[in-house]
This record gives sequence, structure tokens and C-alpha cells, in this order.
Amino acid sequence: MPETGQASSGSSIRRSSTSSRRKPKKNQIPLGMLVVVLMVVVGLVQANREPMLGFYWMMGGVFGFILQKSRFCFTASMRDPCITGSTSVTRAVLIAFAITTIMFTAIKFGYASMGLPVPGMSYVTPISFATAAGGILFGIGMVIAGGCASGTLMRVGEGFFMQILSLFFFVVGSLVGAAHFGWWKEKFIIHGPSVFLPDVFGWVGAVVLQLLIIACLYKAAALWEEKKMGGSED
Amino acid sequence: MCAVKAFFDKLGKNETYVKIFKTPFTYLTGAILLSIFQVVSLGATGDPWGVSGTFANWGAWLYRLVGGNVDRWYYFSSAGAQAVLDRGFLNDPGTMRNLGIIFGALAAVLLASQFKIKKIKSKKQVVAAVVGGFLMGYGARLAYGCNIGALYSAIASLSLSGWAFAVFLFIGAFFGSKLLRKFFM
Amino acid sequence: MAEFTLDCLGEACPIPLMKTEKKLEGLAVGDILIVSIDHSCAMKNIPEWARKQGHNVEIDEVDDGEWEVVIEKTK
Repeated sequence: MPETGQASSGSSIRRSSTSSRRKPKKNQIPLGMLVVVLMVVVGLVQANREPMLGFYWMMGGVFGFILQKSRFCFTASMRDPCITGSTSVTRAVLIAFAITTIMFTAIKFGYASMGLPVPGMSYVTPISFATAAGGILFGIGMVIAGGCASGTLMRVGEGFFMQILSLFFFVVGSLVGAAHFGWWKEKFIIHGPSVFLPDVFGWVGAVVLQLLIIACLYKAAALWEEKKMGGSED
Repeated sequence: MCAVKAFFDKLGKNETYVKIFKTPFTYLTGAILLSIFQVVSLGATGDPWGVSGTFANWGAWLYRLVGGNVDRWYYFSSAGAQAVLDRGFLNDPGTMRNLGIIFGALAAVLLASQFKIKKIKSKKQVVAAVVGGFLMGYGARLAYGCNIGALYSAIASLSLSGWAFAVFLFIGAFFGSKLLRKFFM
Repeated sequence: MAEFTLDCLGEACPIPLMKTEKKLEGLAVGDILIVSIDHSCAMKNIPEWARKQGHNVEIDEVDDGEWEVVIEKTK
């Protein structure tokens, strides 16, 4: 399947109007290189002040580059099945889950077996009504705004003014959320369990179970697209 | 200058250059590359990727700028949260990463020669951005993160919370799609 | 064999795709729809969607960050 967005050279569709190409395109590559150089300079300056700052800056740059190049969109992975029935992004996200599940667990298991504290455990958070409310609000918000947190940042970089506005109100919403956080914590979050799957199923059991779930979801996503769009091509 | 322009025009048509910088990657390539750097993050810093927690700090800094004070808020009351706020905007790793995403995307789109300023087109877009942005910000604080922290990184971390968040996120996206069709199309 | 245009410049995902879907529904087989977009994601998801529907699709990059997706309705 021709997945890329490049125009095919031999035009097979005969259109009566001419393409609305108005002027010769400007070449933005030099500007792009300038931005890359600028990013390296900022990275070096920040790394010189504090290595972690430079590293995080660099990681951000890499994530932004990959997100933009692949048009990777977590919003689309949840939204497209609802709107068109397409699950190509959904399946890509599931593959990302599968890869990171294996690699993260390898790292975590390594730490645990050496008797060291397991890294990244702050991402194992309590499940409560707040998770449900937060998930639903976030889900509605990202579809309406046309991008989640990473997607909004990526589209700000693409020059989308609408997303600058949505980023600002994301920040405002975060502030209000933080203001109310004590209430939510006391009422709900504190009573919710934090479940680290290896504690329940063992390391191997947790990974196998999670990969099985991902595989089932992948299959379900493929079937969903077939049903809604009549055959998936990839 | 003409020779310089000719060089860049030629570069822009170079087959390898087009392949890497002009043509979009497939979603699968994106998934693999993002996952690699997720692992790099966890390995190097002990923490996976997160985005929206930093936005709460941005909010606190903005609030301070207009004379507000968040020091008494439960959310910012821990010594760790206070230390982050006191270090300030440009000394915060999370801030650097979020700004990096913006610039990384900018670099990608410029190198593809596809940058274009897209101004706000209608009142609908303003409403969508304001409401959508706010809901995401509020929701992310309740759920301990966004699609990255509470979903991608949480699931990768074998946390059941990631799956719970995914289920409710999908429900939200379903209703969001209905709203979009009804009010924003 | 009529030709139609759809202006989705400045629209964010998934609006261009939804508008394309709706517009295409009302067209006859053989008609051509030209969708103008400047959202880099739409430049990937509209062609992908239309191809999966079995239509003929071409993309014309008309300016920096601006595309015309030409869709010929086939069924």
C-alpha cells in the first residue's frame, strides 16, 4: 500500500482545473538547519550548566522530530476508530506498547534482581474514580482540541496558532486541576489501589499477560477496521 | 547567493534526503523510534517520558507572575514540588523536554520544507482550543498524566492504571467524537 | 464527471477528514474532489482513508506546507 504522502509522478487522475500552485516554493531547508544548529547550541549551553537539562532538551527534540515525521498521534489512536473506523494509528500505538513493555521490564527486572530500587515506579499510580473522570475529560478534550499534550506541542512547532491557544488553556486547566487535587486525593485517589502487575502475576506472568492483551487488542483493531472500512490493506 | 540556493534546491530533491526528511515515516516506524527513546529515557534518567506534569508547573509559574501563590496547595506542598518551582523555568528538565518537542517538530517540518503558519480560522476553533485544552489540563491532573505519562509510560511500566486510563480515555474520545461532529464541523 | 473543491485550510484533525468523508458521500462515481489542506497529519490520513475506501488518490504539494488531495470517486 502506498502509505506515504508523496505525489505519484505519473498522474492518473485527469482533472480539469490546474493545480493551484501559485508561486515557486521557497526552500525552508536552510532555516531547518539553522534550527538544528540552534538546538545543538542550546543543548550544549544547558548541558554545561547541568547535564540533565541538556539531556532532556535533546530527548524532547528527538521526540518532537519523530512525532512530526511519523504524524504519530495518540489522539488519533483513540479517535479514528470512532470516526472513520481506521485503526492504523491504533495498531502502531499497540506495537509501541508491546516494545516498551518488553524493554522496560528487562530494565526493571535487572534492577530488582540486583536488589536495587526499581526505576520509574512513580508511573504506577492509584486507580480510582479520579482516573475515570480524568480519562474521560482528557479523552473529550483531546478530540475537540485536535491533539493531546505531545500532539499539541508538536503542532505548536508546526505553526498552528489554534494549538498555541489550546496549550495555554491546557496549562490553565492543569493549574486548576492542581488547585483541586487535594480534594480529589482525599475523596478518591487515596482509596484507590496502585497495582504493579508483576506484584500480582510475577515478572514473567505480567509480561506474558500484557503482551497477550496487546495482541488481542491488535487483532480486534484489525477486525474493527475490516468491518468498518471493508478490508485493511496493511 | 544563487549557488547556495541552487545547492539547497538540489539537496531538497536528493533521493536520500527526500526519503529521510521529506516523506513522512510510517506509523510503525514512529512507534519503533519512540519506543527506543522511551527506553533510553528510562535507562538514563530512571524515569520514562512524561509531558503534562510539567504543564502544572508552568501554570504555577504563570500564577506567580500575576501575583498568585501556590505554596499552600496540597499539589505543590511536597519538598520535591517546591524545589522544582524554586529552581525555575529554565532549570527544569521537564520544561526543557517539552520545549524540545516544539523545536524538534519545527526542525522536522522546516527540513521537509513544509512549514506554514496556520492562523485561527473561526470562532469554533477558539472554543475548541479553549474547552479542549482546559479539559485536558484538568483531566491530566486527576489521572496523574496524559497520553504519554498515564498511558504510554504507565502501560510500559506494567501499571494497571495505564489500562484503566486507556479504557476511560476511549470512552472520552467516543463522546468527544460525537461532540465534534455535532458542534465543531 | 464533475469536479468539486473543498477548502480545509487552517482546519485541524480530524475535521478535514470528516468534511471529505461527508462531501464525497454526495458525489457521483467518477466525480473528482480536490481537498485543500495545510495540516500535515491530514496530508497523511485523508489519502490513507480514501485509498482504503478504494478511491483513486493523488497528492499535490502546492506550496510549503500546503497540499491538494485529489480524489476520484470510484464507487
